[in-house]
Amino acid sequence: MQVPTEHLLFLAAALFAIGVLGFLIRRNVIVVLMCIELMLNAANLTFLAASRQHSTPDHVNLVGPVFAIFVIAVAAAEAAVGLALIIALFRLRQTTDADSVQEMEG
Amino acid sequence: MAEVFFYALSAFAVLFALGVILAKSPMMSVLSLLGTFFCLSVVYLLAGFQFMAAAQILVYAGAILVLFLFVIMLLNLGDISARAEGAAVFLHSTAAKIGAAIAIAIGLALLIATTAGALNLSAVQEVPEGIDGFSGLAAELFGRYSLPFEAMSVLLLATMVAVLVLAKRQRRGRAGSQV
Repeated sequence: MQVPTEHLLFLAAALFAIGVLGFLIRRNVIVVLMCIELMLNAANLTFLAASRQHSTPDHVNLVGPVFAIFVIAVAAAEAAVGLALIIALFRLRQTTDADSVQEMEG
Repeated sequence: MAEVFFYALSAFAVLFALGVILAKSPMMSVLSLLGTFFCLSVVYLLAGFQFMAAAQILVYAGAILVLFLFVIMLLNLGDISARAEGAAVFLHSTAAKIGAAIAIAIGLALLIATTAGALNLSAVQEVPEGIDGFSGLAAELFGRYSLPFEAMSVLLLATMVAVLVLAKRQRRGRAGSQV
């Protein structure tokens, strides 16, 4: 594929921006968690684009894929803890609306 | 041919991502996110990352999204959140304006960096056999990055314990915590 690295970065930036936008405008905590997953995927794409840029047939650059694997593991851990928190919140309040939980006055 | 495929997949990935944040029901959000992850997986494949494409499908589509679907079905949220927030209401909030400003700032920064030549990237050299071969990746993970790899396994273990503690039904908790 002869696509320049910039275009991969543009795709990653678009996905990250959409993730930020969703994180800020949605009030359902489950959708907010999904937006975090979207942002982590954009970060992964950036890692892989950088790795591809620095790879040649003689010497492949594997720093990008290795860190992308770490990001995937952290994303899995984050999703598990986040969803457990959502279930605990739902038991307490019967809602997943972020605006209905305001004890900390954030 | 692969280039046309890449641009089509990019467009679909962005459209599905917009679907995630604009869908009214969380179920539609999860299905849109699944579309984004599949498109990204094929983009990884086209860019020469076979293992990452497989990991994307297995871990994200196979594990994380199933977890999301499971929680949404468990809590039966379909109609509750559709009533609580409509697209027209949240698009006019202050948060939407801040988010749009951040999105425009990211796009402009990248656009200026590319047009001004600040990135100064040379042409990409193709690696026909793929970049992340199993043997090379394993040598890196268990050699140079073995300490972060072990830290990752400790993190996953800690996560498992934390989720068990959080999700355990509290038998002698306060009155409000009973289901």
